[in-house]
Amino acid sequence: MRQSNIGWLFLTPATLILFVVGFIPFIYILYVGFFDWNTNAVDPTLRWAGLQNYRNLVFDTTFLNSLARTLVFAFFVVVSELLLGYVLARALMADRLWGRQFFRTIHTLPIVVAPIAVGATWRLLCVPGFGIVPYYLKLWFGIDYNISTNAYHAFGTAIIMDLWHWTPFVTLSLMAGLTALPKEPLEQAQIDGGNKLQIFWYVIVPMLKPVLLTTVFIRLMDALRSVDEIWMLTKGGPAEATRFIGLHIWINVFPKTDYGYGAAMSLLTLYVTIVLSWLLFVAMTGRKGGAQ
Amino acid sequence: MNSFVKAAGVGFISLGIWSSTALAQDSWWKTAAQPYQGATIRGISESTPASKYVEQVLGPKFTEETGIKVEFEATSWDQMYDKAIKDMEANTGIYDFVYIEQDIVYTYLARNFLVDITKSLADNAKIASPDFKPENFTTFVNYFKDPKSGNVMGVPMEAFIKPYLYRKDLFDDPAIQKAYKDATGADLKPATTHDEYTQIAKFFTEYGADKELWGTTVQASSSHPAAFYEFFESVAPTFGVYNWGIDGTTFAATEANGGQMNSAAAKKALNYWVGLLKYAPPESTSSTWDEVAGTFSAGRAAQGLVYGENAAWIATDESKSTVVGKVGVALPPVEAGVMEAVASGKGYIGYYDGGAFGIPHSSKNKDASLLFLQYIGQASVQTDWALAGSRIVMNSTYDDPKIVDQDKKMNGYYTLMRDDGKLFAGAPPFPFHSQVLQVVAPFIYKAIVGEIQPDDALDQAATAAEAELVKLGYRK
Repeated sequence: MRQSNIGWLFLTPATLILFVVGFIPFIYILYVGFFDWNTNAVDPTLRWAGLQNYRNLVFDTTFLNSLARTLVFAFFVVVSELLLGYVLARALMADRLWGRQFFRTIHTLPIVVAPIAVGATWRLLCVPGFGIVPYYLKLWFGIDYNISTNAYHAFGTAIIMDLWHWTPFVTLSLMAGLTALPKEPLEQAQIDGGNKLQIFWYVIVPMLKPVLLTTVFIRLMDALRSVDEIWMLTKGGPAEATRFIGLHIWINVFPKTDYGYGAAMSLLTLYVTIVLSWLLFVAMTGRKGGAQ
Repeated sequence: MNSFVKAAGVGFISLGIWSSTALAQDSWWKTAAQPYQGATIRGISESTPASKYVEQVLGPKFTEETGIKVEFEATSWDQMYDKAIKDMEANTGIYDFVYIEQDIVYTYLARNFLVDITKSLADNAKIASPDFKPENFTTFVNYFKDPKSGNVMGVPMEAFIKPYLYRKDLFDDPAIQKAYKDATGADLKPATTHDEYTQIAKFFTEYGADKELWGTTVQASSSHPAAFYEFFESVAPTFGVYNWGIDGTTFAATEANGGQMNSAAAKKALNYWVGLLKYAPPESTSSTWDEVAGTFSAGRAAQGLVYGENAAWIATDESKSTVVGKVGVALPPVEAGVMEAVASGKGYIGYYDGGAFGIPHSSKNKDASLLFLQYIGQASVQTDWALAGSRIVMNSTYDDPKIVDQDKKMNGYYTLMRDDGKLFAGAPPFPFHSQVLQVVAPFIYKAIVGEIQPDDALDQAATAAEAELVKLGYRK
């Protein structure tokens, strides 16, 4: 009992902070989502709208397209980063790799760069007319690469930029997980005649699940709320080709000052994120809840 | 001896009068600023040549004279609005003076964001500088007056028109003139109609195929409001479509309801403008006003509509521009009949841009900020500021010999602004500026990248604009 009280005492500061910066804003957004509120309207006060904002969202093709686009983006970046991250982790753990420590350091550098700087750097690299990427793609391969007119080029560049920025994080996580794996099950599997693929799929992956799950969740949630990098790279364009949901919500809440509708969007997006995470958790663990 | 004494006496008296006047002038700011010694005022603005002059020259000078420290943040256009509006909405009081662009002033006034400068100075005569006279400003100051009281709510800090710049060296080159005549049958001169402009753009694109030279700039970022602004504020008016095509009384945008946003003239304008992309350098679809100036200054375009804030450095600053001494200035090309309509007071042919500094209601240093705004509103600081930022907000500045000299180097930009500035206009007085912009702009972006046709883009934009205006309660 006494131990339990001390535990709660230690938890109190963090709980209080979470309550202030997490729970109160959540309740506020929940509240605002039930109103029609735009400070630039003829009537700038909050006007009760009930569930109208949520009803409108279901028919708002711009919002739905934005959400779908974000999910596609998240799928591509999370899967690609997992695969690339695993390959890099194994490569950087290999004893034969000369200059391993040096490569580890270099490889980790993108993580420490601020997203806004990453976006600005990639924009300078890719801007039509001046960037070196379109210049050399044209010179060497005859490709007319243009992120301000071609939706696929912009979307692809957004994915590659995210891979460059966050794959090192996945690599580091998986390296930590792989390093901590016990050797005995792997040796046992080898003795039993398992080939490399079988050992990977039936031994390594199950043992890595906790690390994989954590890494996937972190990257998924990050990918679903990408704003800064995309804003600097394409500003959501060309047209709306890279207007991901975070950017779409920002445009509605700030420049448009449509607070009620923006709040509803935020909540619906949060709901989608939670459902998606839960489905992923179930798929990866076979459990329906009660993560341990 | 007698005359020597007299002369010496007169000399001493003159020196005394001069020094006492000088001291009195010096000491007015010090005396007025005495209660605010050591205070720090914070301002935010878009990073423009004129703003940078405030940051690097006027701010430090003011600090030197008054002891009030000025912290000035010159940032991007988007960030400036984001930060300033959030600060004023939340009443946090981070900023003591903010940049008010001409097109956003109606929103700020509608939301009571700004301190009434006229009233504040009348209420506190101790900080009312004798050198600050609102009547000295050009008529541009009227945009920053409260329509009800007529009081000044912002001190103009920059104003310019968006002229038609062209490469005088190319247009005057006899060989190029001959080639143009051979190719088109017409004489090469600055365009006065859209057909001429397109023809010149096409010619120079072909001529410059191996020279990194294109026919025109186009401010057609496919994801930045700059594209919306160039089309609705600089191009559509030259086709006779004003105020974004929105009726100022019924707030109708569609032609069916009495608006003009999707009228035949508007559609012709958008087709013309999007069509120019064929003759523009590849960066045009990612160009805002800054990139357009960069393109022109790098010698990559033969002509273009370029914001006046960039005209001076493009024409005179060799450290930044490759076309110094090669820039011609003219009025934008217009559709037949538009100039006559404008002359009769029915419209305008382009954007009269600029901004002022105002004091947010949330400021915690209003009096110190009032002193600063008056300091930058003195006639004596205007000339050097104009030289640095090609901005003129006071009538007297036009006649300063330094400005007359710079005007010659700019091939008459200031003369054009003074004589023909009346043909240009600021943004329409819409308090819903940002809301309609955000709704309409995506359709312009889609037309730029070819996702939809310009005609469809305007039909959809007009419908969406009306729906937004109904939602906001302006249109019944």
